[in-house]
Amino acid sequence: MFAGAALALSELPMELMDRHDLGRRIRDRGGEREVQFLLSEAERVLPVWCNGQLQIFRWGNRRGESPYLPCTAWTQLGTIESGGWGERTIEPVVIPATMGLDKGVWYRIRQGIRGLVVQDERGRPRVYVICEPSSHYYQIMTRGSRWMPQLIDERI
Amino acid sequence: MPRLSQQRGEQRTRTAMSPSAAIGHLDADCFYVSAERVRDRFLRGKAVGVLGNQGACVIAKSYEMKAAGVKTGMPIWDALRLCPQGVYVKRDFRWYEVLSRRMLAVIRTFSPAVEYYSIDEFFFEARSGVGASLQELAEQLRDAMLREVGVPVTVGIARTKTLAKLVSDTAKPFGALALLDSDAERTLLDRLPVTEVSGIAERRAARLEPYGILTALDLALADRRLVRRLLTVAGEALWYELNGDPVLPLHADRPPHRMLSRGGSLGEAAADSDRVFAWLVRNLERLVEELEFHVVRAGALSVYVLHKNGTQGFRRVELASPSDRFDLLLEAARFCCQRAWVPGLAATRMHVIASQLRRPGFVQLGLFDPPEAQARAVAELKRKVNAEIGRFALRSGATLPLYDVYRDGAQGYDICDVRGKICF
Repeated sequence: MFAGAALALSELPMELMDRHDLGRRIRDRGGEREVQFLLSEAERVLPVWCNGQLQIFRWGNRRGESPYLPCTAWTQLGTIESGGWGERTIEPVVIPATMGLDKGVWYRIRQGIRGLVVQDERGRPRVYVICEPSSHYYQIMTRGSRWMPQLIDERI
Repeated sequence: MPRLSQQRGEQRTRTAMSPSAAIGHLDADCFYVSAERVRDRFLRGKAVGVLGNQGACVIAKSYEMKAAGVKTGMPIWDALRLCPQGVYVKRDFRWYEVLSRRMLAVIRTFSPAVEYYSIDEFFFEARSGVGASLQELAEQLRDAMLREVGVPVTVGIARTKTLAKLVSDTAKPFGALALLDSDAERTLLDRLPVTEVSGIAERRAARLEPYGILTALDLALADRRLVRRLLTVAGEALWYELNGDPVLPLHADRPPHRMLSRGGSLGEAAADSDRVFAWLVRNLERLVEELEFHVVRAGALSVYVLHKNGTQGFRRVELASPSDRFDLLLEAARFCCQRAWVPGLAATRMHVIASQLRRPGFVQLGLFDPPEAQARAVAELKRKVNAEIGRFALRSGATLPLYDVYRDGAQGYDICDVRGKICF
């Protein structure tokens, strides 16, 4: 399952970096610095284009956090289309990313990933990664991931 | 190869070639990765692996990934252990062909005769201009390629094709070297294992080993008659080439195909008869495209199937009369497939091969073939629709079980679809 994204450091405003203490997520890859947003982090967040602004939102919902939201980091496209989010107000968003991570494989993402933002019971926004059934290629590459993130204008 | 039939004496004395003309070999440096970097600057400087269509194997890697120990053909899960920070991208032969043809155009501005050897390799007649040496020509061509196409290449120039390829192979990456001095050639050949010579793989090397022929220089210095006995006339040609005697011709135009084939890996192994048949039809439709493009008809058709358990099946039939008609070829292909494929066994690879190719003008029509008019009309319609809307837009309904394959755009174009190359 989709386990993280990376975004070039140059894509993130310094003010946003400071406000969310993203400095500790910086890694170097081939001489270029990037910020990694990993599912395995204690504090799971993702960058999100929302209302014309780049923002940092919590990624999904962990057990013991919000009783109002499903305990997961992803949502299936079919769930959204069949009204699985019920009465909650959901908003489609773009998660900018230059790379995605799944089962240890970093793969290139040209534009970004589709996401869904929903507010918890205290009005705090949370983002879920929208997933669709994996392509054969993606399944083989990741050794069996059945779901892949829905990429923008791209299918691998 | 008339020169090979001439009986010659023992080891010939090497003669220095005119320094103004020779054979050049241009080879793109990690071409698929370089091609991805042309359109995606983000990948520059990073360890990049290009994966095959199935996503299982690294089919090309950057020098950064190579430095981590990743090899071409390595499964991705092995590559991940060696290079966890590598970035993986899916191959795209349509784009690689675009760049390949741009490269061909650039070389043609430097040379009157160019051989399109493979998607990323070219041989050319190297002629130095007034006041410029062949070394300068190699450097100018290398630099022009980077400037105009964006792909780093290595250029080797030598007295023969075989030597030129060895020179460029050893000058990588981003090298340019004209090596025309026989002493320098000898020094180079002495440090190369014989398997570095194009055309000498492990099996041939094993035949040479008992005679102490281990390096490229050993081969060049060996008795020509011995080489011919061990490696046939093809090996003898290499012997001449290594000794600076050009016997392998430069093919500025591709010689006509002796056979055409379409197929390859089925990706997910197929045991279901509908899916196997769908692959057969897909490969046959691609083959018919090639027959039509080259304006030839098949006198015989073969189907090869590799099963997951390692067993292979093959069947060939001769047609009543040479044909490029889908309906007639499908009958033959179905017959062959029923005998090549073992029902119930998962198939992993399939090839459909047309041989005994004939030009339409020389074709003897069959007495019992169904009338042509309707089949030709359908073929023409199919060709027009696909030319207008896109390849495979109109195709046989038997391919429906391969919905996933047709949905994946990258599956619509393969390395063998890049036409005009000499080599696969």
